[in-house]
Amino acid sequence: MPLAEVAALDIQIPPCIEPHEPAADREALEALAGWCQRFSPTVGLEEAAEPESLLLDITGLAHLFGGEAAIAEQVIGAFARRGLAVRVAVADTVGAAWAVAHFGTGSLVPSGTTPAVLAALPVEALRLPPKTVELLHGLGVYRIEQLKRLPRDELSIRFGPRLLGRLDQAMGRTGEVIVSFRPPTDWRTEWSLDYPTTRRATIEAILEQLIGRLAVRLRSADRGAVRLECRLQCRPADPLTFAVGLFRPSAVAGHLWSLVRAPLERLRLVAPVTAISVEAPIVAPLPRQQRNLFPDGSARQHAVDLAALIDRLGSRLGSEAVTRVRLVAEAQPERAYRYEPLTAKRRRRASPDQSHLLPRPLQLFWEPLALEMVAMAPGGPPSRFHLRGHVYRIARSWGPERIETGWWRGRSTDRDYYRVETTTGHRLWLFRRLADNRWFLHGLFS
Amino acid sequence: MTRPQSLPPDAPVGGQSAGEIHETLRRRIACLQEARLRNDRKTSSSGCGALDQLLPRRGFCRGTLTEWLAAGWGHGAETLAFQAAGHACREGEALVVLDARRRFYPPGAAWLGIAPEQLIVVRAAGQSDHTWAADQSLRCPGVGAVVVWPEKLDGRTFRRMQLAAEEGGSLGFLIRPQRVQREPSWADVRLLIEPLPPAAYAAGRRLKIRLLRCRGAADDRCLEVEIDDETHAVYPLAQLAHRTTPRRATGA
Repeated sequence: MPLAEVAALDIQIPPCIEPHEPAADREALEALAGWCQRFSPTVGLEEAAEPESLLLDITGLAHLFGGEAAIAEQVIGAFARRGLAVRVAVADTVGAAWAVAHFGTGSLVPSGTTPAVLAALPVEALRLPPKTVELLHGLGVYRIEQLKRLPRDELSIRFGPRLLGRLDQAMGRTGEVIVSFRPPTDWRTEWSLDYPTTRRATIEAILEQLIGRLAVRLRSADRGAVRLECRLQCRPADPLTFAVGLFRPSAVAGHLWSLVRAPLERLRLVAPVTAISVEAPIVAPLPRQQRNLFPDGSARQHAVDLAALIDRLGSRLGSEAVTRVRLVAEAQPERAYRYEPLTAKRRRRASPDQSHLLPRPLQLFWEPLALEMVAMAPGGPPSRFHLRGHVYRIARSWGPERIETGWWRGRSTDRDYYRVETTTGHRLWLFRRLADNRWFLHGLFS
Repeated sequence: MTRPQSLPPDAPVGGQSAGEIHETLRRRIACLQEARLRNDRKTSSSGCGALDQLLPRRGFCRGTLTEWLAAGWGHGAETLAFQAAGHACREGEALVVLDARRRFYPPGAAWLGIAPEQLIVVRAAGQSDHTWAADQSLRCPGVGAVVVWPEKLDGRTFRRMQLAAEEGGSLGFLIRPQRVQREPSWADVRLLIEPLPPAAYAAGRRLKIRLLRCRGAADDRCLEVEIDDETHAVYPLAQLAHRTTPRRATGA
């Protein structure tokens, strides 16, 4: 209500004046919309820049409350208990309900009587922009029945499609959908400490409780955390944060807590903690588990066990230390595979054809070991070489396998690889660097 | 630990009745009995029929540890171990490789026929984390086999690993240097792999497998095998020499 109008009212109690905050109003209305989901699963806000009404779809719900009138009464009663006065109307269409709630009398528009009820209402009841209403008033059109008598084609030309659209929506000639309000879910729980503490036991207890609460919320929404971030606000130091990634979404409090525990133990508390928060920034639907008719769910149970193992390992060792393997179509041996964290999102990439794999050792030295050649067979590998004080004599060899690659990376790799077997039966993987003819041991067929 | 003797029968202690505690203890004692053969456990083939014949249960018993000892570089023990591990994971179980030294080369495992999707490579930074990861992996029923190169292995850690494998039912393969062959072991099977000098008639790789120790079987038996370079199939050497009398190859 504008301030000037308040002054004009003859009231005894001094008015309570608050600044107009559209954002706060909307937030409050959204909170009420969430609360109203107790009456109907579809609750929406009216379509407006500054919505003031809530729309509830009660189709097929009347019998649950004992009739449409009973729903209206229960809604009014529930709001009254919250200290809020509301006007409620039940009608066939959203437009009619809005019109009756704002401008009509009574709260129930019996089915089929909508045109008759609307006829007597003012044109403002059609949810029209103020300019259109003003124009209609200027033309002497005040009531909906007057509007209905005017030719539709001319109305459309004069006022645009919106006026007729609203009229048709109110009359039920065109449909109108209630856009259900979904509260933005914020998977976050917080705890502020009145008395900041550095006691680990207290912090652990709080964290465990926060994770428990989050897990309950997640489970009720049928969601599981894929990533969990914990934040300890410290004063006067910077906040301490740590995160754990999960292989498989989980809403099991015990499991989440066991994952958070390992990084928490490593954390050094430098200043008293003033607030603790736990957030799941990434969530995913919980994997469904269908029960088998015959109890042989061992494979599925194994997958669950394996996911739990990966989470435990990743939590203590870091996600980079627990990896899956992806082979890459690269000739250079060091680049022929990639380790990817198992808890990270799997990227779908075609893996190279594995039908023609070349002989490769089980162990590879990241830094090839330079060896000292003593004697060499013509056009082949060294027939005798020294390495770390040992003398190796080569009995057989396979190769060379020439690998020339990497020039586009700025540094080319030109090598001749040989698989060799020593006179004692040990098998090694050697290469000759073509640039300087030096020999190296690169891998072991161990 | 609670002493069950001081309790009245069936008194609940820590959620367990005295009867249950007795049963748990009895099972643990049974685990300690050396000659007991675990008939309730499944076995997994080593991938080499002749080696399976050498083992009392005709394969590696799931839920146990196996030591593969070898000396030098490029000895071939890991090739046999990975082939056996591949067999143990044939139904899609995970093969965990604990690569603390960061020398494991996955394309080598792929060459031996192990699907890269089955591999989980864990690279722990410290000794304690490495041991812990081995313990956790062995304890997980979803894991088919765990391959580990333990740097140091004291009796206590060894025993923990054995109990973990027993709980999880996976195969634990420990690849260790030959010098530890006199040390006590909690593994069910201890094998020593020695490469044989190449022979003119043999195209593949020749290895001598010595069964140093095996629960429930006579010790110190040996077997000579050849690994085909193309197919990685393992044949007993004697079988190649005398194809008509393959059984002689497994004789001690």
